[in-house]
Amino acid sequence: MKGIPTVLITVSPEVSAQMRPPRALYPKGFKIGNSLGQPGMRDLQKKVLRDALALLTQNTRPGETITIEYPEYGEQHEPPRVKKLGT
Amino acid sequence: MTISRKCVPFTPFERELSKSTIALITAGGVHLRNQEPFNIADELGDLGYREIPPDVDSSQLIVTHHHYDHTDADQDINVVFPIDVLRDLETEGFIGGIAKKHIGYMGYTMQLKAMYEGTAREIANDIDRGSRADAVVLTGG
Repeated sequence: MKGIPTVLITVSPEVSAQMRPPRALYPKGFKIGNSLGQPGMRDLQKKVLRDALALLTQNTRPGETITIEYPEYGEQHEPPRVKKLGT
Repeated sequence: MTISRKCVPFTPFERELSKSTIALITAGGVHLRNQEPFNIADELGDLGYREIPPDVDSSQLIVTHHHYDHTDADQDINVVFPIDVLRDLETEGFIGGIAKKHIGYMGYTMQLKAMYEGTAREIANDIDRGSRADAVVLTGG
């Protein structure tokens, strides 16, 4: 097995970064359970999936998470934070 | 092969998207209605995964996962498992095709080592051997 290229769509960028995904897209402000957008928002879902797939062909730094804003999503949500020991 | 825990396991993508076959893997607890649900009664989590065929009717996909609010995915599975969206991108010619196999698992576990060294490898091997995927899109909940 030589490996398969992957790209992650994450709505918890700080949490998922702990697993060092090789390529990742964070659609800014999307809530957990809405990785591609809201139900029925097919145009937005397509845009997010296209952007994620496009990261495969771009010269991203391994381990980097790319943040993209999608104003049509609407209300913005704060992503979960990693709990640090002693805080 | 064992890799350093600090290493980023980056596999280059050297193809054109329009000629590439794409697979989906979700940690969002997605599976077919007629498949065994993930065991949410086990506080340690469920280390299993479910194969999802490429021609699946998305109305037959459901979520069993108790660590995120999947109300929206219950209405439209594409918010966590964009199989219909992938079909649209194939129709548009943005991608070449849809892989022969896709995967759903429950991305909550207290058995991290078993998930990382067991389930994840099994899924990777399954996709590598059985899906003809050129690349994989991963989603969480």
